[in-house]
Amino acid sequence: MATTTEAPSAPNADAATRAPVRGRRRFPVGAAALYTVAVLAALAWLTPLLWAFATSVKPEGETTAMPPAWLTSNLTWEAYALVLGGGGIVRWTVNSLITTVIVTALTLVLCVLAAYGFSRFDFRGRPWLFALVIGGILIPPQVLIVPQFVLMTQMGLVDTYWGIALPQVVAPVFVFVLKRFFDAIPRDYEDAARLDGAGPVRILWNVVLPLSRPVLTAVGIFTFIGAWNNFLWPFIVVNDPQMMTLPVGLGTVTGGYGIQYARDMASAVLGAFPLLIVFLLFQRHVVTGVAGAGIKG
Amino acid sequence: MTQRTHVPAPRTPPEAVPPAPRDLVDVRGGPPAWTGLWFVLPFLAFYVLFLLWPAVVGLGYTFTDRSLAGGPVSFVGVDNWRESLTDPALHASLWNTLWFTLLSVPLMVLLALGLALLTDHARRLGWFLRFSFFAPFVLPVTVMTLIWGWMYNPSLGLFNGTLGRFGIEGPEWLFSEDTAMFSVVIATAWWQVGFNYLLYLAAMRSIPGDVYEAAAIDGAGAWQRVGRITLPMLTRTTALITVLQLIGSLRVFEQIYLMTMGGPNFSTRTVIQYVYDSGFVGLRIGLASSMAYIFMALIIVASIAQFRLFTRKEEA
Amino acid sequence: MRAHHPQNTTRDPSRGTAPGMGRRAFLGTAAGLGAAALGTTACAPPDTLLDGRTRLRQWNLFSGGDGLRMIEMHDAYRAEHPGIDLRATTFDWGAPFYTKVAMGAAGGRGADIATVHVSRLESLAPGRLLDPIDPDLLAGFGIDDTVVLPHIWEQCFFDGRLYAIPIDTHVLIQFYNLDVCRRAGLLDEEDRLVETTGLDDYLAMLREIRNVTGAYGLSVDTWNPWANFWALYRQQDGDIVFGEDDYEMDDDRALAAMEVLYRLSEEGLAPRHSMLADTAANLSNGRAGLMIHGNWEIPTLEATGVGFSATQFPNVFGNHRTRGDSHCYVFPHQRDRDPERTRAAAEYAAWMLRNSITWAEGGHVPAYQPVVESAEYDALHPQSEYREAAENVQFEPRAWFSGSAGRLQDEATGALTTLHQGTQTPEEALDQLKRTIRSLLSVPSPV
Repeated sequence: MATTTEAPSAPNADAATRAPVRGRRRFPVGAAALYTVAVLAALAWLTPLLWAFATSVKPEGETTAMPPAWLTSNLTWEAYALVLGGGGIVRWTVNSLITTVIVTALTLVLCVLAAYGFSRFDFRGRPWLFALVIGGILIPPQVLIVPQFVLMTQMGLVDTYWGIALPQVVAPVFVFVLKRFFDAIPRDYEDAARLDGAGPVRILWNVVLPLSRPVLTAVGIFTFIGAWNNFLWPFIVVNDPQMMTLPVGLGTVTGGYGIQYARDMASAVLGAFPLLIVFLLFQRHVVTGVAGAGIKG
Repeated sequence: MTQRTHVPAPRTPPEAVPPAPRDLVDVRGGPPAWTGLWFVLPFLAFYVLFLLWPAVVGLGYTFTDRSLAGGPVSFVGVDNWRESLTDPALHASLWNTLWFTLLSVPLMVLLALGLALLTDHARRLGWFLRFSFFAPFVLPVTVMTLIWGWMYNPSLGLFNGTLGRFGIEGPEWLFSEDTAMFSVVIATAWWQVGFNYLLYLAAMRSIPGDVYEAAAIDGAGAWQRVGRITLPMLTRTTALITVLQLIGSLRVFEQIYLMTMGGPNFSTRTVIQYVYDSGFVGLRIGLASSMAYIFMALIIVASIAQFRLFTRKEEA
Repeated sequence: MRAHHPQNTTRDPSRGTAPGMGRRAFLGTAAGLGAAALGTTACAPPDTLLDGRTRLRQWNLFSGGDGLRMIEMHDAYRAEHPGIDLRATTFDWGAPFYTKVAMGAAGGRGADIATVHVSRLESLAPGRLLDPIDPDLLAGFGIDDTVVLPHIWEQCFFDGRLYAIPIDTHVLIQFYNLDVCRRAGLLDEEDRLVETTGLDDYLAMLREIRNVTGAYGLSVDTWNPWANFWALYRQQDGDIVFGEDDYEMDDDRALAAMEVLYRLSEEGLAPRHSMLADTAANLSNGRAGLMIHGNWEIPTLEATGVGFSATQFPNVFGNHRTRGDSHCYVFPHQRDRDPERTRAAAEYAAWMLRNSITWAEGGHVPAYQPVVESAEYDALHPQSEYREAAENVQFEPRAWFSGSAGRLQDEATGALTTLHQGTQTPEEALDQLKRTIRSLLSVPSPV
C-alpha cells in the first residue's frame, strides 16, 4: 500500500484494511494542520448548541450580562424546572411523537403498497396513474396550505391529530424511490414463492420487503425526521395549544413573563433533545440512510 | 411541508442504476389484472383527497372572493389574478425568495463540499465530525431560530457581545434591511448543510481507493489528488445537490418567518409567507390562492428546467 | 460501500428473510403504537372529562408585564373555582395571535374565551368568527352597562348584538428613571418630571439626559412605532378619514410626526433598534432616562427594582394626546358550543372584571367602574400620576384593517421603522405609508 506523507488523509473506500497501516505512520505537519482545522470547524459548528446550553443553566439575571460569559458561577437548573413545570413542552413532545408515528407508519404502508403495485402488476391505466403520481412530486405542498386548511375545516379535522398527520402521508417521491428499488429485485425468489402457492401479499411481505431493508430504513428515517420537524402544516392546522407539535408550540406560545432568555434556551435544548438522542443512537443508520437515499435511490 | 420533507428526491446516478429488470410488468400468467390496482388504490385515495383535490379546489377559489371568515362567496372573475400579478409586494416577495436562493445555494453546496473533504481526510475524527456537522439538521426549525435569534440579538447576543470585547460595534443582524437576509442565510446554512454534507461524504467514500493509490504512485500530492480525482468524480453529486438545494431554497418559509416575520420592512418576506399573510392573516382565501398558483407555476417551470439541465449533464 | 444495492443484498439468499424478522417486528410495533395513539385520541382534542371538571380554554396576548398580573389573577381564580380547569395560553403578541384566533374560529374549535383589542372587533367578523354574548347571562354575573363606562360599552356591540366584554383602557405614557433624571436636574422636589412644551424644548431635555447616560435620552420601541406616530399626529389634530375608494390625510402633519421619529434616532437621542424587552431594559439599566411606552410596562419595570415614575405622553405639539385602545373578552366561534362552558366563560369574565384591581396594578385602567372608584385604586402609584391620560386617549379610525396589530398598523410599521433606522427619509416613509393605505382601500374587505 503506497501512501504518502499524509497517511490519515489518504481517502480510501476500504478504511478497515488501512487502519493498521495508518496506525504506524508518523504524524506530519500537514496532518496536524488538517486536524486543527477540522477540530476548529467542528467546534464552530457546535458553538450555537453549546451557547444555548450555557445560557440555559444561568440564572435569568446573568443571561444579559455584557460581555457574554460562557461559564457561570451560579449554575442552576431553574430554567429547566420552569419549562418542564409549565407542562407545554411535555405535551407538545407527546403530540409530536403521536403524529410522527402515524405519519411514518402510514407513509411506509401506503408507499410500499403503491410502489409494489406499480412495479409488479399490469392493470388498466397503470402508466397513466404512475405519471399522475410522479407528477405530484412537482407540486410543492407549501402552496396548497390554503385549500388544504379549508378542506380540514370542512372535514372537522382542524386541531386534531388526524388533521396534522393525514395530509403529510402523501409522498409521491417515496413511491418513485421504492418502485425503482423493487424494480431492481430479481424475480427468481418471487417465482419460487409463487410456485409454492404464495399470493401477492405474502410475496411482498416474505420476499420483497426483507430484501428492501436499506431503502425502507432510509424512507422511514426521512419520513420520521421530516414529520417530527415539520413546521408549516401543523402551524396551519393547529391553533389549540394543547394540540400543538413541538416545533409549533415552541414557536407560537410564549410564557407571559417578559425577559426569559434562560428559559428560551432551556426550551431549545429540551426541544433539540429527542431527535439528537435518536440521531446519536442511530447515527450509522441515518448516515447510511442519507447516503442510500441520495446515491442509490 | 418543510423544505426538508421532500428533500431526499434521489436521482440514481447511472453507475448505480440497477440492471433493467427482466420484465417491467409481470404479465406472464400472474394474478388477474385487477390485483395491482388494489395495491395502488390506498395511496391514490390519499393522493387524490389531500393533494389533487385541494389543488383543483384551490384553483376554483382563485375566481372567488372567498374569505376565511366565512360569509357569502361570489364569483369575481380574474380580479384576484389581476391583483396578484400587479401587486408590488408579491413581486418583492418573489425577489426575496430568489435572493435567498441565490445566496444560499452556492454557500450550502461549497460549505458541504469543504466540510466533507475535511471529514474525509481527518478520518480519526470521523464520528465526532459527522456528529458536529450533521446534528443541526435534526433540530426542529424553532429550536434553530430560538438559538440563532438569541445569538444575533444586537445588544445582548453572543456575536455582538464577543465583537464588543474587541471594541468592534457589531451589525444589527436580523434587524437591519442590509444584513437580515444574510443573517438568515448563515443560520440556514448551519442548520441544513448537514444533508448535502452527508451526500458528499458518501460520494467520496465510494471513490475506489486504488484510483488514489495510482495517483500517489505517480507522485501526486494531497492537494493535487483532491483537485484531479476527488472533485472531478464528484461532478454528478454536485449537480444532484445543487438541484435539491435549489428546490429546497425556493420553498423557504419557516426559518425566515420565525426569525424576522418577513421584516425589517418586509425585506425578507418570502412568497410562501405572503400567501400565508394574505390567506390566514388577511383572511382573503381567493387572493392567497391565486398567489400560490403563480408561485407553483414558477416552481414547476424551474424544476423542469433544472431536471432537463441535470439530465443533460448526466448524459454528457 | 454499504450494501444498499439490491444486487448486493440478494447475493446471499439466506439473508433474505432473517433480517425481515427484525423489520417485521419493527413494523408491527410501529403499527401498534400508531393504532394505540389513534385509539386513545379519536378525532377530537382530548377533553378533561376524565376528572369531571369543566375545561375552560383562555387565549391571550399578554406577554409583557401585564401577563404577570394575569397569571396572578388566574391563580386566585383557580383557587376559588376548583370545578373549573382553566387553561390559559399566551401567544406571541399581534398578528400571530389574531391569526390563531381567526383560524381556530374558522376551524370551529376556537378557544372558549379570548382577549382581543376592541379596535379589532370589526376585523374578526362578529357573527361568523365571533359568537354573540348573551347580555342576560352576563348581567346574571353582575356585568352590564351600569358598571362599565357607556362609551366603552357601546364599542362592544356590533349590529346590535353584544360581542365583547371590556376589560380596560390602556394608553402610551412617559416613564422616567428617577436616578438619571435627578442627576440631569430634571425633577422637582416631589420627584415629578419638569414639564416641557413643544418639540425643541423636549429634544433639549433629551440631550441633557443623554449627557448623563452617555447613551440615549429616550427609549422607544422602534419596532412598534405606529402608536407613537398616531399620538404625535393626533397632537396636531391630524386625522385619517376613510371613504369608499379614497381617504384623506394631512401630509404636512404626518411629515411633522415622522420627522420627530426620524430625528430621535438620527441624532442618537433614541436607539435605532429596540424591540420587546430591550425597550424597558434600556430605561432600567440607565442607558436612557425617559421611555415612551404602554402603561402595561409598569410591572416589568417594578420587577427590575429600578426607581421610576410615569407621566403623560410628552407635549410635543401643544398637548398631551396619546394613543389608546381597550382590551376585551370575546367568544371565538365554536361549531358545537357547549352551554356549560359558555356559562363558565361568562362567569370567568365577570370574576376577572370584579377583581381587576390586580389588573390595574399592571398599569391598565380597568373598565369596571367600582374598581376605578375604589380607594385601593387611588393608592396605586404611579397609576394615579397619569390618570389624566385617559381623557387624552386617541382611538384609530374604524375600518376592517385598522386597530392594534391590524393590517394598517402592521403595514405602517414597515414604513415607520425605517425612520428610526435612518434608511428612509420622512418623505419616503410617507410615500410608502400612503401607498399602503391606498392598497388597503383598493382591496375588498374580507369580513
